[in-house]
Amino acid sequence: MQSDTSAVTIQPCKHCGSQAPVDVHFCPRCDRILTLGRHGDYFTFFGLPRRLHVDVHDLEQRFRALSRQFHPDYFYNSSSTERLASLERSSYLNDGFRTLREPVERLEYLLKLEGFAPKEAHEATSQVPPELLEEVFALNEQLEAIQQMRAGGSAEAEVAVTLEAARQPIQANLDAHERQLNTLMVQHDAQWERGDLAGRHQTLEALRALLVERTYLTNLLATVRRELGGDLAARL
Amino acid sequence: MSKVVGIDLGTTNSLVAIVREGAPVVLADESGDTLLPSIVSAGDRDTVYVGREAQRRLLTDPARTVYSVKRFMGRGIEDVAGESRWFPFKVSGQAGGVVHIHLGERELTPPEVSGFILRELKRRAETLFAREGDFDPGVDRAVITVPAYFNDAQRTATRDAGRLAGLDVLRIINEPTAACLAYGLDKRHQGVIAVYDLGGGTFDISILKVEDGVFQVLSTNGDTHLGGDDIDRLLVEQIVAELGLDPATHAAAVQAIRKAVIQAKWDLSDFDQAEIVVDRIPGRAGPYRRLITRAAFETLIAPIVERTMQPCRCALEDAGLSPGDVDEVVLVGGSTRIPMVRRAVERLFGTAPHSDLNPDEVVALGAAVQADILVSGRREMLLLDVTPLSLGIETMGGIVSKIILRNSTIPASGSEMFTTFVDSQTAVDIHILQGEREMAADNRSLGRFKLRGIPPMPAGLPRVQVRFQIDANGILSVHARELRTNVEQAIEVKPSYGLTDEEVERMLIESFEHAQEDVEARMLIEVRNEAETIMQATEKTFRRPDFDEIAAARLSPAEIASIRSALADLASAMSASDRHLLQAKSQALNDGTRHLAEVMMNWTIQAALAGRTADEVAARGR
Repeated sequence: MQSDTSAVTIQPCKHCGSQAPVDVHFCPRCDRILTLGRHGDYFTFFGLPRRLHVDVHDLEQRFRALSRQFHPDYFYNSSSTERLASLERSSYLNDGFRTLREPVERLEYLLKLEGFAPKEAHEATSQVPPELLEEVFALNEQLEAIQQMRAGGSAEAEVAVTLEAARQPIQANLDAHERQLNTLMVQHDAQWERGDLAGRHQTLEALRALLVERTYLTNLLATVRRELGGDLAARL
Repeated sequence: MSKVVGIDLGTTNSLVAIVREGAPVVLADESGDTLLPSIVSAGDRDTVYVGREAQRRLLTDPARTVYSVKRFMGRGIEDVAGESRWFPFKVSGQAGGVVHIHLGERELTPPEVSGFILRELKRRAETLFAREGDFDPGVDRAVITVPAYFNDAQRTATRDAGRLAGLDVLRIINEPTAACLAYGLDKRHQGVIAVYDLGGGTFDISILKVEDGVFQVLSTNGDTHLGGDDIDRLLVEQIVAELGLDPATHAAAVQAIRKAVIQAKWDLSDFDQAEIVVDRIPGRAGPYRRLITRAAFETLIAPIVERTMQPCRCALEDAGLSPGDVDEVVLVGGSTRIPMVRRAVERLFGTAPHSDLNPDEVVALGAAVQADILVSGRREMLLLDVTPLSLGIETMGGIVSKIILRNSTIPASGSEMFTTFVDSQTAVDIHILQGEREMAADNRSLGRFKLRGIPPMPAGLPRVQVRFQIDANGILSVHARELRTNVEQAIEVKPSYGLTDEEVERMLIESFEHAQEDVEARMLIEVRNEAETIMQATEKTFRRPDFDEIAAARLSPAEIASIRSALADLASAMSASDRHLLQAKSQALNDGTRHLAEVMMNWTIQAALAGRTADEVAARGR
């Protein structure tokens, strides 16, 4: 079994003062909605294990069931403390649903929870990951060549062919990254099941590096697309 | 316990509804009308007219009459500069600030003008409840609907209008979603539903997923400045240009043209051609007449219909769906009666849209359902709406950093860390924006605030967490906390296009000072409303393309002549203020047209039996 040692496992009820487990939403003693403190995370909130595979259909059902429990619509006649609790819990639920629903956002979130998030928010985009240096270098050369072709009056069809040639290896690399991400995610969940903490941390570190590269590749593709778009705009 | 009503505060018409014995019903006024024209007019002294009387005054005293105020809600003078010359009333204000509308001698903000409309609806409901013998007829709480694509400023302006009318606004809900709730009552609807809502001044498209009674909006898009008003203006502009009129000096003529154009637009939903008739035009001897075919009308409005298509495609894309995934399409808003609009929607979604409920009433019905959910604690249905626009703050270089993305389910929250740039800096300026564009200047400014009380520390050391919370109304609130000292900061946002709490309080006090009820005037208005209803029905009959055919077969020339003379009598009595005379003339026309009404009814039934298309008959029955 995994458990983050720093995680808080109880939350206090502001109404009756009793202690409730962190993964419940209503006080077991007085039945009132609990104020959302800085406890737990999206996984505990949804009653899910901290794994990277999530059954989206199951997640949606949990989302709807929880919405029905604490949407602000149902707390109009309650005290202001309970109304605030309902607003905060609903917000947290909605924010959590958005995060857990998308595999990449889910992965980023889990990495952050486990302390593997990139230190700087823009680290992922500003620094070229070492593994991609060669690729970036090649692409820059190709883009430069394309600009020269345009300046020299080459036919747009020709430019498009060169651009496509530049795009393909990046796309292939991105696809490879996606596959590797999936493999590592499955591996992570297996390690989680076994309670292999050391192995899991290694996997998370690898996932973090892959994710940074993936973001970089996505940005490169966007650059190529912009170049294609500029070409289209110029032709109109 | 006082009652809670649902209100559709529309560009053209407004309605009030309530849930009775589990079913929502729209409330009618003394004359049986459910639609209250969203028009406000200043009379002599302090009298303010709302509804049909104000609509009549649009022709006689246009400069003191305000319509389509919804288009001004939460907006700046620069937003409305292009169209304000078409309005007969004066609009002023400073750039970057709230618009002022001149209602007679008074200069009012849009929420104050809308407040008059809401107060009239509140009065309508209270009068009805009192008449029914209710011991506690008071209405002081409401759910009010807004276009889904309304931004924070427009929502807040609507809530302020409610407060100014003496209503505690329990909830602001989106019009398409409200419509869906009204439809959802029969539990038949499951799956993916697209709501296409083209009203008088606004357009919305919402894609919803309905499952287990949860109405979850997946995405929404729209245009808060696109609707029937724009169609009317296209026709008005043509005729005004043709006649060489200047809207600034011929306001009454422009309003008369507008009225005739709207009538022709309605007729064109039923018939292949219609005649635009304007009785009096300055510098012309006789009335102005112009025939318009449906084909010509459709050519004219095609660009407007096309402008609704792109938002639909965007909404589908944001929901991650293709048109084929949509199970049902619901039409809302008066402009969806236009056959061309229906065809375009059907073509886009590949499924016939349905409108079993009256498209004018469905939003108010849904608002009543939501009001009932809030107060009764009924839990079989739940509405999960989204915020239509991304929320962000301005960062270095005028670029927007998005904090809450569009189409996020609300309530939603987001936070951002701020720090200082100079040693011992104790305040930071924050500019909040709404919109999708990259540069701050291209988005809507919601407000600015100064984050004060940061403990003096070396530059870059303070860590101020600013939390943005969008509530279930789609309205933003902001909180800030310095994390090192854990000091919570009070934030007062200065709204860019809105009112401060103090301003609303002051207006509320002023409005009570002006409030006075003139019973005799009100009774006259009621009689006028009834008279107008009978006149309009009679005129509509005369306008039918097959009228001559029917008349030749079933009516005597003497009977027609006597009806025409009763109609003319009533028209002249309308301009006087003798209530008893008006009542007598109304009665005369009513009696005189009884046989005519029977003839028309029988003709329609026989036409149906004779095998004319059912659609044609149904269209006429509207």
